[in-house]
Amino acid sequence: MKGSEKLIEIIRQQDIQPAPKWQFSMKNGLAWAGFLAAVVLGAMAFSVILFAIQQTDFNLVSHLSHSRLEMFLGLLPFIWIVFLIAALAIAFYSIQFSKKGYKFTAAKLVGFSALLSILLGTLFFIGGGGHQLEHAFAVNVDLYESIQQKKTKLWSMPKDGYLSGQIEAVNPDFFVLKDFNNKSWKIHYDSAFIAPVVRLEEGETVKLIGKMESIDEFTAKEIRPWGGRGNRMRGN
Amino acid sequence: MVVPKEICDRFSELEIIQKSLSEVDYFSCLYERYEARLMRYIKRLALVTDTEAEDILQESFISIWKNLHAFDQSLKLSSWIYRIVHNQALSAFRKKKSYGKDNKVAWDDSLNANLPDDTTLTDAGEMQNIDLSLHEVLEQLPLPYKEVLMLKFLENMGYEEISDVLKIPEGTVATRINRAKKAFKHLAEAQHISFEH
Repeated sequence: MKGSEKLIEIIRQQDIQPAPKWQFSMKNGLAWAGFLAAVVLGAMAFSVILFAIQQTDFNLVSHLSHSRLEMFLGLLPFIWIVFLIAALAIAFYSIQFSKKGYKFTAAKLVGFSALLSILLGTLFFIGGGGHQLEHAFAVNVDLYESIQQKKTKLWSMPKDGYLSGQIEAVNPDFFVLKDFNNKSWKIHYDSAFIAPVVRLEEGETVKLIGKMESIDEFTAKEIRPWGGRGNRMRGN
Repeated sequence: MVVPKEICDRFSELEIIQKSLSEVDYFSCLYERYEARLMRYIKRLALVTDTEAEDILQESFISIWKNLHAFDQSLKLSSWIYRIVHNQALSAFRKKKSYGKDNKVAWDDSLNANLPDDTTLTDAGEMQNIDLSLHEVLEQLPLPYKEVLMLKFLENMGYEEISDVLKIPEGTVATRINRAKKAFKHLAEAQHISFEH
């Protein structure tokens, strides 16, 4: 029996039918949906990374001791960086299942997904999405320590020379600062460097580098804005 | 029932597919159109006997039939068919290898008539005395090299077609062919096998 005869006989005998077209369209559609979902997730992760970078005062690295430096680096959003990498991996994996996914090299696919995530993530960040997402995560996930919480911790160590809080009253020689533990401090600032964007007035949230003089007195060497969305807001 | 060759010859491949969907007998046209070259390809790639190659071809065509709606018309039909046959043949090859059966291929002389055409190995006029040495060298190459060399020089495919068969980017095909040619030459020289006369 010829091969072709045998083939047709098998198909007829076993009543083998071609799989419907929608199955293949669905598979292709799912591959693209997976890719797009991963790109959007990557974009969200990137927007939080931008938010974290915005919250990190890199000028201060030189002031920090080794242990403080570790804490400072702790502000970097490693979990979000991991999310971003995972999203890129998922995007790369998903697109492999699309009809034409194999046409592109891994580098091109990852580069393209990363570029899309970065563009979307930047837009999301500009719209305040990064901050909101990070906040929502901090509120809803018990184990997650928010960037603001970490930052507050770093800047609430007066013995080590770091203090932050909201200005309550300003006098020519000193101002009163209420820290994030609701403790009031008398801050001497006559020889301090004051960052140009800082307005020394009631309601301003600032961070200070200096020296703790007594249990409720602190001499500031540098006064910087708290940073983030508006210095006049409480920092957490 | 198999459709006679004279009738099959009246249709293009895409027309055969369309006709097959309404009348399965027309699918035999596609089988017969590709049978000879695919049998040769399977035997070279999977190192199997004629009977085993026929089984692989049958299974491949059943898979082609089941996936007929998956055929993307932006591809050449031959690339798509080769892709399915290639995967089926490799799967059979791996199965066979894992059982430790013999790895000898049913070699046929027609292989020698279709040798590399764009390297120093390639002038067809110089190839008349080439024998099993080509096959022996090819067999010593890693599979990724062997498969690209086979598709490029024995199946006469272009980079785009090879890319579609193996589902790898065209750039990767080009790189792999270059490396494979070097590896082939290196192996041939090491074994004092010459393809130039």
